[in-house]
Amino acid sequence: MTEYIKLIDTTKCTGCRACQVACKQWNGLPAETTSFTGSYQNPPDLSYNTWTLIRFDEIDVDGNIKWLMRHDACMHCDWPACIKACPSPGALVKTPEGAVVHNPKYCIGCKACIIACPFDIPRYSLAEDKIAKCTLCYDRITDEEKPACVTVCPTGCLDFGPKDEMIEKAKARAEDVGGYIYPNNPKYETHVLYVLPWGVDMKAYSHLNPDPKMPATVLWWKNLFKPFTLLGMGGVAGLAALHYLIKGPHEVEEKPSKGGDTDGE
Amino acid sequence: MANREGMVRKTDATERLTHWILAGSFLFALFTGLGMMFHHWSIIPTILGGYYAVKWMHIFSGVVFGISLIAVIIMWWVDAGKFVEGDGKWILQAGGYLWDVKDMPPSGKFNAGQKIFFWFVVVFGILLVITGLIMISVLSFPVVVARWAYMLHAMSVFVLASFLMVHIYLGTIGNPGTLQAMLYGWVSREWAQFHCPRWLEEHDRKGQAAQEAIEE
Repeated sequence: MTEYIKLIDTTKCTGCRACQVACKQWNGLPAETTSFTGSYQNPPDLSYNTWTLIRFDEIDVDGNIKWLMRHDACMHCDWPACIKACPSPGALVKTPEGAVVHNPKYCIGCKACIIACPFDIPRYSLAEDKIAKCTLCYDRITDEEKPACVTVCPTGCLDFGPKDEMIEKAKARAEDVGGYIYPNNPKYETHVLYVLPWGVDMKAYSHLNPDPKMPATVLWWKNLFKPFTLLGMGGVAGLAALHYLIKGPHEVEEKPSKGGDTDGE
Repeated sequence: MANREGMVRKTDATERLTHWILAGSFLFALFTGLGMMFHHWSIIPTILGGYYAVKWMHIFSGVVFGISLIAVIIMWWVDAGKFVEGDGKWILQAGGYLWDVKDMPPSGKFNAGQKIFFWFVVVFGILLVITGLIMISVLSFPVVVARWAYMLHAMSVFVLASFLMVHIYLGTIGNPGTLQAMLYGWVSREWAQFHCPRWLEEHDRKGQAAQEAIEE
């Protein structure tokens, strides 16, 4: 099975938001009523019904305003923290293509994935008591189609293809524009890559985790205390059984009676 | 009032009921929690009606646990919460469970080991309840707090569930004649003299005083 990557070349984004519309259209997500709050970012955040969003940031470059536009959606981690945290089997699944897909049928609305996610992607609906997020259009890519957002992108900012091909393309493009690839943690790979322009501090992008990784607390929770609970309960029960066999129960001392065995020592 | 020959009443009905509400809610929360933690144990959610139902059962039993925990703390604070002279020696001698000890310091209603268990239940039980409450409304908290809550919840379960095994062993087959103290409340005088002589002494003194008051 081919692993895929979605490549986001932010240097080509014009903020047209065709990707947002296409995502809503393909996934059948209703529009949200919003109001102007001083930013062109609209809707203001990802939500249960908004799985991708162009984030608008304004920075000051030599007295001039510069716009940073970033297509934000699920990063489809190779080792997804959300799945590690999820208690309900099948609610979040990693597919052979690299997509991390949620299945509303099995989601129990516990929100563990939301707090585990290093990119703050899943969104919760109180009415549905479930989470939702980008699926990398799993229902398209398994049918030889590109994700809806990539299909409609007019500038070529969004691209989609086999993993190795996209990594090569990202490297070449980063070199061309003097930029760099994000995320850049060999221990926490993703199936979405960004080319970010040189000269812009990563911190200028809102909502972009400069150091994405599996949260240590999630590892302690799932890799340490989870097995320890069974080891602790089983180990102590085993020791108690040994104590009973070797030392015997703590009998109430009674007055010595005739006969009976004595503890042979 | 019922009297039993050669027996003394170690606990009253309120104590037993409160203890079992705490124990039952903890065991049920443990059972449902393990069912959600270990995907290989999907049999637990299956027999209980699915993961969504189990989530709410876990939350509900956790709330019952929290309320009964407060009741237990108030109820046993004096008897189990305060260490007294002799408790240190009891601990150094491991309660006489591991090697033969001739001069066990006389215990009150609860021995030093039970008091340690009480304090573990208090500290890690409160931690469980607080982190559990955070998890119910997890999006209202900063993500760092939320992540620590999940981790500390799991850690507290590890500590309490392990210690619980000691508690179950020593409360049942490890100490013959003990379980009935938590079932219907009566234990033999020999049992009381052996396990909690200071309590028996006080119990008899109170009984005698009551008897004298009736006679007068």
